[in-house]
Amino acid sequence: MEQGKPGPRALSCNGYGPEEKQPSAAASRPPEKPRCAQGASAPSLESWKEERTRSEEDNEMNLPSLAAAYTTILRSLGEDPERQGLLRTPWRAATAMQFFTKGYQETISDVLNDAIFDEDHDEMVIVKDIDMFSLCEHHLVPFIGKVHIGYLPNKQVLGLSKLARIVEIYSRRLQVQERLTKQIAVAITEALRPTGVGVVIEATHMCMVMRGVQKMNSKTVTSTMLGVFREDPKTREEFLTLIRS
Amino acid sequence: MSRSRVLRLLPAGQVGSGRGQREKRGREEAAKGAELPALEAAYLSILQGLGENPARQGLLLTPTRAARAMQFLTKGYQESTEDILNDAIFDEDHNEMVIVKDIDMFSLCEHHLVPFFGKVHIGYLPTKKVVGLSKLIGIYVKKVLVLVQERLTRQIALAITEALKPAGVAVIIEASHMCMVMRGVQKMNSKTVTSTMLGVLREDPKTREEFLTLIKN
Repeated sequence: MEQGKPGPRALSCNGYGPEEKQPSAAASRPPEKPRCAQGASAPSLESWKEERTRSEEDNEMNLPSLAAAYTTILRSLGEDPERQGLLRTPWRAATAMQFFTKGYQETISDVLNDAIFDEDHDEMVIVKDIDMFSLCEHHLVPFIGKVHIGYLPNKQVLGLSKLARIVEIYSRRLQVQERLTKQIAVAITEALRPTGVGVVIEATHMCMVMRGVQKMNSKTVTSTMLGVFREDPKTREEFLTLIRS
Repeated sequence: MSRSRVLRLLPAGQVGSGRGQREKRGREEAAKGAELPALEAAYLSILQGLGENPARQGLLLTPTRAARAMQFLTKGYQESTEDILNDAIFDEDHNEMVIVKDIDMFSLCEHHLVPFFGKVHIGYLPTKKVVGLSKLIGIYVKKVLVLVQERLTRQIALAITEALKPAGVAVIIEASHMCMVMRGVQKMNSKTVTSTMLGVLREDPKTREEFLTLIKN
């Protein structure tokens, strides 16, 4: 399928670029259902073919301007960037921010290529309580929580830590929790063509806890169910029960 | 008013670095709105430097939101201990230990500008005066950048001492540092605990033990 990308950077780094502000590439929307129903040679989608939008060299090149931005921030807040505790803070903060967004440097294919195995297993596989740390794209403030993933394999299983790596790639970006949930589900679908996938994320948003409404204990829960997890209530219920215990 | 502006424009080394100076400057500072454009521009350049596309829908207003959020998280600079405490000190004839525990605290670490949060436990032995405590915490923790958890603990203890002249003060902070959890060593469950004991809570082991026991359960 053609993708009318104006340039690598405009292919929004989180894989959903073509849907937003780029009507010419509307053909490449990620699917709502897994591709297994359509046979083996399904066309590939952004998360699979995603290009790396950032490299280590980019990081090095951008570090000084990021540090300068943080110095401005410190000054604008009324602090004194020359005092001892703050001298290196712009550099540390810039490096930390690059680390928190390192998902832009990685692609799914890097991580998964050799960890897909043929197994004759068709019972649910669940990996739960995967710690997740991300940044909300609206306030640049962390949101942290747990991800629970379940899937019904269709002749192929994924190395278990790869599920956690998929979470890492997508969560280490500027994110919206709903989008993060969906991206994880779609990535697993594209990699394995399973019978179904379910992803649930429970997170605490610091932007709600530390500012704004300041609700300490509230959690946000989002979920994406694809394939048989969506169609069949019993499967979905089994998944939700198993992640609860 | 003009005097404070001159203070701000001097090179950092020449401005007194005492807490009083900084507080005064913060309080007399012009409306925060004056700083907002600079903050927004800084955040915009951060988004670009990270390889993101600031023109996409989700990020269009992010520089403004992030700038305002940061101002909120550091608004302790605009407040002073005296303002907060002056109307919350009461005369009470009570000389048994007063403990306020599990006060939620959120702040930013001055080394990485990443949140750390946890709980503050305070105990003091009043001599005739008691105080509304949660407001006091509010100022110090929102002085974000002052912090280093050790210093925060000590500042809270000193502020209470100055305001009330109690027989003793103890402050304990247990916090999780996102800079350790989200990056670096990435230790999920570790907590940092710091404490400051002053006066009779430092001298007398039994008093200190009573405090530590009472905050435990």
